[in-house]
Amino acid sequence: MGAVTYPDSRVAEFINGRMVPIQMLYDAQPFASTYNVKWTPTMIVLDGEGKEHHRIVGFLPPDEFLPALLLGIGKTAFDADELDKAMADLDKIITAYPRSAAAPEAMYLRGVVRFKKSHQAEPLKEAFEQLKRDYPASEWAKRATPYGLL
Amino acid sequence: MAEVMWVQDMEKALARAKSEGKPVLLDFFNPG
Repeated sequence: MGAVTYPDSRVAEFINGRMVPIQMLYDAQPFASTYNVKWTPTMIVLDGEGKEHHRIVGFLPPDEFLPALLLGIGKTAFDADELDKAMADLDKIITAYPRSAAAPEAMYLRGVVRFKKSHQAEPLKEAFEQLKRDYPASEWAKRATPYGLL
Repeated sequence: MAEVMWVQDMEKALARAKSEGKPVLLDFFNPG
């Protein structure tokens, strides 16, 4: 990550603008134990209380790391019931990084956000149809399968 | 060239995250 991904100007600017980055050795205590770190690199997205919302283990190139970070930020907002904020970052993943590994999960979670905002089942069904169309082999298409019955 | 502006202290990182309304990116690395 330190040789390829973090030096990428898009990555550095994104992190500096949207997150508070802290770096530590893999065995730094008490944090390595607190967060159960077993391999490197391990990147964890936390809220201001130190609660984990998203974890990335293993190297990712910039074009995968950026949407993975957006997903982490979106999940942090989702977990805080900040649905509009979550929606904005999930939309960004789907429109700007549609071929990334984060995109299917973002599409699934966007359906859930839309459901929570509308209290209507239709967004869940739409999410399933979109996942079936765009990411049929993804685990998120499988997870959304029950929504196809709504 | 932009560089990631790493914070070195967890308490400071969390305090900044709260005050700025941003999540923390915690990176565990192995220099070897």
